[in-house]
Amino acid sequence: MKLKEYQKIVNKNIKQENKIFNALISFLIGGLIGLLGQVFVTILENKFYMPLSECYMYLMILLVTISSVLTGLGIFDEIVSFCKCGLIIPTTGFAHSMTSAAMDNNEEGLIKGIGSNIFKLTGSIILYGITIAFFLALLKGVIM
Amino acid sequence: MTLKFKKSYIKNYFTLLGRNEYNVNIKVDKKLEDYYNFEKSIEIAEASFQINSIKGVLKKENLKEKDINVLIGGDLQNQILASNFSARKFSIPFLGLYSACSTFTESLLIGAMLTNMGVDNIIVTTSSHNLVSEKQFRFPIEYGSLKKKINTFTSTGSVSALLTNQKTNIKIESATIGNVIDIGYSDVNNMGAAMTPAAAKTIYDHLNDTNRSVDYYDLILTGDLGIYGINILKDYLKKEYKITKGNFIDAGSILYDTNVTKKIAGGSGPTCLPLVLFSKILKQNYKKILLVGTGSLHSKLSANINESIPAISHAISLEVIK
Repeated sequence: MKLKEYQKIVNKNIKQENKIFNALISFLIGGLIGLLGQVFVTILENKFYMPLSECYMYLMILLVTISSVLTGLGIFDEIVSFCKCGLIIPTTGFAHSMTSAAMDNNEEGLIKGIGSNIFKLTGSIILYGITIAFFLALLKGVIM
Repeated sequence: MTLKFKKSYIKNYFTLLGRNEYNVNIKVDKKLEDYYNFEKSIEIAEASFQINSIKGVLKKENLKEKDINVLIGGDLQNQILASNFSARKFSIPFLGLYSACSTFTESLLIGAMLTNMGVDNIIVTTSSHNLVSEKQFRFPIEYGSLKKKINTFTSTGSVSALLTNQKTNIKIESATIGNVIDIGYSDVNNMGAAMTPAAAKTIYDHLNDTNRSVDYYDLILTGDLGIYGINILKDYLKKEYKITKGNFIDAGSILYDTNVTKKIAGGSGPTCLPLVLFSKILKQNYKKILLVGTGSLHSKLSANINESIPAISHAISLEVIK
């Protein structure tokens, strides 16, 4: 049997994921995090008179800390599997993948375990993030 | 290739269930409700499950290590670590096997060959651990990877069985060694679909070699195709091999409660088939059972370089004498 024919049998029998529902959940949760972040930043800016760049820094620290601690407690993976990309695309996803990778190799020691594995999933975010940032900055320099 | 056995019997077995996130609706000999089982890592914990199950079967039959001629085992870990680590605790000659989720049927097959040659007592063992498989084949354990409905859940546990050449009420009648089949399917999330062609080929070969029709068996118990995989198998058998009848049950699809199947496609792993066989199927009134273990022989690397999934399946024909 050819693969195409087989694929037809497979598709007939499996349950497809509800992509629209998943996208909607991700959109709402992602948006909610954005909203809460904005509220946090506005409060810091107006009540504590902080400069805007510092407000964003504290927001990042807060999100990263919350998601790392919840990952460590073993709750965050279940929240992520419900919220999907709503929590993976914000910086919470970055912290979550880093912490989970580090926890995985905890027993192998500080150097060979945690140290060499912590960026297993997030390495590509750092590598391509920095590369793209470099080229965007270059572009900005040329245009302006 | 099909082999017939004259004096291969299963004498006793020991089933051990580790922690599973979902409700398991079978009765086992022992439950260990901790992923770590007081060991320093989950890999070693899996080995301790195996040690427990081997000791369990020895105790059930009042045998000593020196009474056992060969220990045959395998699991899903890299370099079948759990089996090697459990075998070092026993002074029994050891054969380690890897055949992914069909490891248990392959062990039974080799064990039956040896007992047929006149070896007295053989223990076959296997184990699987959910967290180890998640870590090794998918994402880090605590990473909230998106579980699809077609994903299966690797069961945690270990099963050991004692094979002998003296007559008991479970006879291993024949066995078919399967081919590695790859029709180009490459979705690692849908392992049931990846393994189905191999299972179908082995069932067809077995029936062909033994000149039997599919009705000869009261039950054809497949390993871990899952609730969707078993339907794919039935459709595929119809289209490709013109096999329309037969009573098929998938061990993975009945290991967990039925309401679990809304979230996942059932259980998997090398222990899934023997757990269901020994704790459920053998207690019901089936006389002729065809075990079809299915294994998907991929790795993380093969998936990353976009290779399709090779799959294997071995069949064991059991006769229960009551």
